[in-house]
Amino acid sequence: MGVTLWGVARPVRMRLLGALALQLVAAVAAVVPLVAAVELAAALLGAREGRHGAVAVAVAGAGLAVRVAAGAAASALAHRADGDLQWGLRRDLARHLGRLPLGWLTGQGAGRVKKAVIDDVGALHHAVAHASLDLVTAAAAPLVAGGYLVVTSPELAAALAVPIAVGLWLHRRATGLAAARMPQFQAATGRLNAATVEFVHGIAVVKAFGTTGQAPQAFRRAADDYAAFVRDWARQVTRPAAAAEAVLSAPVLLLVVFAAGTALLAAGRVDGVELMAFALLGPGLTAPLLALGYSREEIRAARAAALHLAELHARPPLAVSAPAPAPPPGPAPAVELRGVRFSYDGRHQALAGIDLRVAPGTLTALVGRSGSGKSTLAALVARFHDPDAGQVRIDGYDVRELTSTALYRRVGFVLQQTRLLRATVRDNIRLARPDADDAAVRAAARAAGIHDRVTALPAGYDTMLGQGVALSGGEAQRIGIARALLADPPILVLDEATAHIDPDAETAVQRAVGALVGGRTVLVVAHRLRTVVHADQIVVLADGRVAERGRHADLLAADGPYAALWRAQHPATPHVSGAAR
Amino acid sequence: MIRRLLATLPPADRRRLRVGVALTVAAALAQGAAYACAVPFLRALLAGRPAAAWAPLGWLAGAAAVYAVAHVAATVQGRRTGYALARTLLHRMGNQVSGLPLGWFTPRRSGELAQLATRDIMTIMSAPGHLLGPVLTAFVTPAAVAAVLLVLDWRLGVAAGAAAPVIVASYRWTGAVVRRTERGAAAAAAESAARVVEFATVLPALRAAGRAEDGLASLEHALGAQRAAGRAMARQALPAVAGFAVAVQAGLTAVLVVAAVLGLGGRLDAGTALAALVLAARCTEPMLVAAQLGAAVRMAGNALDRVAALAATPTLPAPTRPQRIRGDDISFTDVRMTFGGTRALDGVSFTAPAGGRTALVGPSGAGKSTVAALIARFHDPDAGTVRVGGADLRQVPTPELMARLSLVFQDVYLFDGTLWDNIAVGRPDAGPDAVRAAAADARVDEIAGRLPRGYDTPVGPGGALLSGGERQRVSLARALLADTPIVILDEATAALDAENEAAVTAAVARFTAGRTVVVIAHRLETVRHADQILFLDAGRIVERGTHETLVAAGGRYARFCAQRAEAAGWQLRAVAGDPAAPVPG
Repeated sequence: MGVTLWGVARPVRMRLLGALALQLVAAVAAVVPLVAAVELAAALLGAREGRHGAVAVAVAGAGLAVRVAAGAAASALAHRADGDLQWGLRRDLARHLGRLPLGWLTGQGAGRVKKAVIDDVGALHHAVAHASLDLVTAAAAPLVAGGYLVVTSPELAAALAVPIAVGLWLHRRATGLAAARMPQFQAATGRLNAATVEFVHGIAVVKAFGTTGQAPQAFRRAADDYAAFVRDWARQVTRPAAAAEAVLSAPVLLLVVFAAGTALLAAGRVDGVELMAFALLGPGLTAPLLALGYSREEIRAARAAALHLAELHARPPLAVSAPAPAPPPGPAPAVELRGVRFSYDGRHQALAGIDLRVAPGTLTALVGRSGSGKSTLAALVARFHDPDAGQVRIDGYDVRELTSTALYRRVGFVLQQTRLLRATVRDNIRLARPDADDAAVRAAARAAGIHDRVTALPAGYDTMLGQGVALSGGEAQRIGIARALLADPPILVLDEATAHIDPDAETAVQRAVGALVGGRTVLVVAHRLRTVVHADQIVVLADGRVAERGRHADLLAADGPYAALWRAQHPATPHVSGAAR
Repeated sequence: MIRRLLATLPPADRRRLRVGVALTVAAALAQGAAYACAVPFLRALLAGRPAAAWAPLGWLAGAAAVYAVAHVAATVQGRRTGYALARTLLHRMGNQVSGLPLGWFTPRRSGELAQLATRDIMTIMSAPGHLLGPVLTAFVTPAAVAAVLLVLDWRLGVAAGAAAPVIVASYRWTGAVVRRTERGAAAAAAESAARVVEFATVLPALRAAGRAEDGLASLEHALGAQRAAGRAMARQALPAVAGFAVAVQAGLTAVLVVAAVLGLGGRLDAGTALAALVLAARCTEPMLVAAQLGAAVRMAGNALDRVAALAATPTLPAPTRPQRIRGDDISFTDVRMTFGGTRALDGVSFTAPAGGRTALVGPSGAGKSTVAALIARFHDPDAGTVRVGGADLRQVPTPELMARLSLVFQDVYLFDGTLWDNIAVGRPDAGPDAVRAAAADARVDEIAGRLPRGYDTPVGPGGALLSGGERQRVSLARALLADTPIVILDEATAALDAENEAAVTAAVARFTAGRTVVVIAHRLETVRHADQILFLDAGRIVERGTHETLVAAGGRYARFCAQRAEAAGWQLRAVAGDPAAPVPG
């Protein structure tokens, strides 16, 4: 096992070592019946007394019993260790992912996250529970049996070593080929996974464009690429590997033993018993190694998976630098950005130096064209990312100095879409306050205008969402608002909260949002300028910079970028609608 | 297992699998023959006639050569069959999933499906590639050897053969136990996978709630259940595997005992007795290897079961008496539809005239989306008939329907491909100019101009790298490109950013003019100019007519109009007050 795998297995190392020790016992015990058979052969050939044969048979039986018992115990221990290891790794990984910047995570897609947490961790199973034991057997059994043979007849052993050396050399070459291509294998699997998740979610598109009965191209291409990859693999790796196996196979080794044995017997260099020792133990020498050949690919896969997991773990989470900073002197703005720069890809600046102050209890609207950076700015306040330069301060604290709990006690957000958990309505609403009582949950739902809809569900607040019961976008959004109401943060970030819903639910969601913003410090990403004419501060963004700021009337009077946006949305002529014909 | 694999494969691959199995059996028989050569060889050698030993040695060399060639051929063939199988299964799965009604897709099933496409398919793929060879060899070779023993000396043959039923029985038992427990483990694994996908999706909300760091309780619960299922599997399967090992070893011991008794008693010549020892020793190890691989074969069988279960899920039935679509009108006759126990449509009848605009209006859950979904045949109705151009949709081949129909949906979903590919899917044979023109009409050119790689920019999983309004524009560009006489439109221009709204609205107007349009309408202006307004509530059409007649009637529609006007005037205020107070604008 590689260093990385052993490192990953750290939490269960002791148990794994125990399992390996037991397997060592089993491997040595496995040689015992064969040696006993040699002794029996000696008795049969008259080289020993007949009684000796009976003892040999008894010893063989005992060896078998020890082998089975120790082997089973080793396997049981290793499986248990493996189960605990996988569980621990998955849990830690989920927790780690929970702290990574969301921008990175959404770029990955749920399919790739699932591959890491489920498949990559699962890929360790064979290495930990099977291959580690196979390796011990592969090392110990040939060593013990081979040592016995070398002592028995060095000349015959030398003859037997020839095909084994050739076979191992061939095998090394084949495995080298496989190892070189393993990262590609991982990548192909990852692409297939991502394409599958895409495909399932994109089924509406598939149906809409008449490809029913034919998987969409991306999925088909991923499937074909994958199959083609495996086909090449079979050609380039399987054939040399199979040839190596053939050279190392029992019939070939038996042939070598018998041929060399006949010559040496004729020359008087070995006797019948010695020949029998080689006939019994020789052909089986390589069997554990061949069994390992099957494990090899799994170990390689496990090693690559461990590498991937280690990379994931090494990804820096959003860190908390100083857990308990001194309280800032004097009154601080609720939200403050100082010289904030941020880039998603390291090249294009989404935010190119933003300075912004939001006084407690006021409403600030972020407006601007698509891509101007307004959603990015909102995301930074909610600490979905950390800025590349500058500071985001909440109540005078740099967000990097606040623990997650401390931060989100102060800042809540409602985004374009509320994602619901596959849990009861109640648990969905009290996500931020799991100890909230029923009365509080109901009050929040009432204020968000969703209570009546919830009570109409089959099991009311106990209805499991995502299992047969699906809520519309507007209903989900109101659950999200109820969530935020219950969490009751003093600062609120709203990004297109009413954008993605059924517009006939819009009035209801608007009312809910109205209930939510009352009395809080609000930072809202607004598309419809009309909705934010009362804002205390309107910030117009363009190309990641603040182009203009002020109150509605002043900005209109200034006749700058804001006025232009306003005119685009409120043309003097009556609105040209989609229905006008 | 082989039979089930055969049933899964298309004929060309079936032949491949048969050839692979034949080669494997040939290799195993050659191996048995090679071992059998030990008998005449040892007899000659130990009888003191080394010269006579060269002939059997020659046979052994021949058998070993045949084995080597057959082994390499069989291994390569097995791997090839494996990849063919994977490809076949993936395609079949993809096609099957495309044909399933939309109602089938839940978040949990998405997780299961991802598991199926990767883990299960790989498990199945490894069956002919890695497993079948060793398993077949482990049983064919010992059987051949037992036959040789029987010919040599019936007592040895019986000793070896006596163990056979025990070995076979314990092998089957082991298999049954593994199969049973693996099913539980697989279900637990699928649940974990679904929870991980959920976790990744809801993480923003979890982080806001300060719950992300503790991990999601339900995910941790699922992981715990998975560990428990794994433990149960090991607890039950390991004794069975050990039991099989005992049975195999008992067979070896039996041969040892019989050879010892007969040989030492002088009732069997030493050469034969010794050959029997060699043969027995040769057969033990491959069978023990098979015990572990046999478990893997059964896991592959379970995986095949899950694939088969997916294949058996009913899809929308194909037409029995295909009808042609003649015209562009749409009609519903007493259509009823139930989803998960909830009645979505409860006797809906209407006709959307060719070239006319029909607006569907009503509260959330009224059935508007169901009407749209039924026109696109996402489902078949429980009762009643949906007709397009006079043809019952159940009798219309899907491609023919889709050639006439395009959909612009609110929850647009993009593939993890380039911007260009996502538009071109509307009409795959369209030339670059047509794609560019459609993109320009829907203002996607403005998006492309802003992105680092223009139209070649990947949009991320689900179009995650685009905003809601941008995704919707891409969806519109697709439909513009498709250029069909019938358009189903879910109007959600709310997601559009302000400066593009007017342009996109104008594009929609140009696009829909002269076509049959069914629109799930939200904008008052759209509804006002519709030729026909259908107001739905609780799965029924409660009002129908034109804007003027319905407003005059002062019913539900009139109230809806008042509400829309209110929403349009909505404004946010920092201080609690009347959030819906109208303002001059």
